[in-house]
Amino acid sequence: MAGEAGHGGPHTVEFHDVTVAYGRRPVLWNIDLAIDAPGLFAIIGPNGAGKSTLLKAALGLVPLAGGTVRFFGQPLAEVRGRIGYVPQRETVDWDFPVSVMDVVLMGTYPRLGWFRRPGPGERECARACLGRVGLSDVAERQIGRLSGGQQQRVFLARALAQQADVYFLDEPLAGVDARSQEQIFRVLSELRAEGRLVVVVHHDLRTAAEWFDGVALVDMRLVASGPTASVLTGDNLRRTYAGPLDVLDEIGLAVEQARRTR
Amino acid sequence: MTIPYNTLVVAAGVAAVGFAAGVVGSLGVLRKRALAGDAAAHATLAGVAAAFLVSGRRDLPVLLAGGLVSALLSLGGLVLIRRFTKTRDDAATAIVLGVSFGIGIALLSGITARGIPGGGGLEQFLLGHTAALTAADAALLAGISLAALAAVWLGLKEATLVAFDPAFAAASGWPVPLIDYCLVALVAVMVVVGLPAAGAVLVTALVVIPPVAARLWTDRVGAMLLLSGCIGLIAALAGVAASGLVPRLATGPMIVLAAAAIFLVSLLFAPRRGWLARRLGPRIPLTFE
Repeated sequence: MAGEAGHGGPHTVEFHDVTVAYGRRPVLWNIDLAIDAPGLFAIIGPNGAGKSTLLKAALGLVPLAGGTVRFFGQPLAEVRGRIGYVPQRETVDWDFPVSVMDVVLMGTYPRLGWFRRPGPGERECARACLGRVGLSDVAERQIGRLSGGQQQRVFLARALAQQADVYFLDEPLAGVDARSQEQIFRVLSELRAEGRLVVVVHHDLRTAAEWFDGVALVDMRLVASGPTASVLTGDNLRRTYAGPLDVLDEIGLAVEQARRTR
Repeated sequence: MTIPYNTLVVAAGVAAVGFAAGVVGSLGVLRKRALAGDAAAHATLAGVAAAFLVSGRRDLPVLLAGGLVSALLSLGGLVLIRRFTKTRDDAATAIVLGVSFGIGIALLSGITARGIPGGGGLEQFLLGHTAALTAADAALLAGISLAALAAVWLGLKEATLVAFDPAFAAASGWPVPLIDYCLVALVAVMVVVGLPAAGAVLVTALVVIPPVAARLWTDRVGAMLLLSGCIGLIAALAGVAASGLVPRLATGPMIVLAAAAIFLVSLLFAPRRGWLARRLGPRIPLTFE
């Protein structure tokens, strides 16, 4: 996962010495991280560790105090159209007067450019994306009249409509019902199978160990990154979450066992 | 009783203003910029008074241009306060509103106190007075309103995207600040155009109340814009009618009252979101959480 790309070409995503500060308070220090497609990659760390900020830094949503982020060896501005984004669900007003279809169509807007409206082609694409996340039958519903898991899947469908090569998802599984969780994870796996890179800010250590190929442990600094099994050790987790929590040891052990049985 | 030609033209012009204000205001409300619009509205008075002092005449285009300049200056001030201080949004808005309105009132009372010729009619910009409008004035207001409607039609996709999810819009490459400035500037234009009808103090009613009332009836942006425009139109016409029937009556308060009445009816009787529907109907939650 992390490390050199097999063919020696540029990494899919590369953070080089990235530092981000809100006002004078630094939230991320000297992050060096390279991730390559295809794969499912998790960013994990305690609350306030700067996980979401790391995504926002990659997407140009927060200014960098230092360092660079490159995609396929190029700056963000050159490759915007190849990058998809799923923001945290709580960041928008779900009482907004738009339908599920309207929201998914927003993923096609960059291809349309200024002032052009979505046509039959874009609608076709949006319908297909809704089908992939299992929401075809609520396409015309106002977005507030969905469950949390369905809302999250609407956001995922919108990102699919972006037809990107790299996806960034901010807590896509937070507060989501089991069925939505399974469906979301299935779609993410499909994206990986299609050769894409999916980077997910994730909070649940247990599912992280079984679902993701690679992990970065972040607590304002990068604690460790690489293949899941080698990163999610009790030692690394203690360094990330500060303090000898039993549950961390337990997860470290579970990961080790999983590695042995493979 | 026959209605004079001038009155009809003025009514048509003000109706166009009411419609456009309702449409543009919907985008402002959806982007949660209602308070900024109110600050801009109060700021117009200073520009109107200054334009009168500089030009020495009460030409509507000149006065409105002055009003637009001071409205945009106040919005610029708001942006600067937000960027360079830690003042909270609501406090910053209140400060800009109070200061700019204070300047306007100071200029206005100075003009009145000195008895500058022609300055007597300026208080029509405080509370609105459509009876003072000429057919040419009304045509100007209607023309600008139609241009504002054209701008909304053009940029509706971009404005809706930024209003709903600015972070996603920025991440997918849209210049969110630029779209925001255009949106707020458009609101400022409609506030200025609404001045002669509703006045600086009450013109926000034309850009805020109709959208909020319209939202209660529909779950679609397009329908909300149209409905809000119609409510604005009806409110504006109610003001014109009252002003035509009772000489010297200020139009602004009548417009606000008409809009508020429609809002109240919507609150009570709108399907699903109205009080009655939620009381009597099947208890369908508005959202699941």
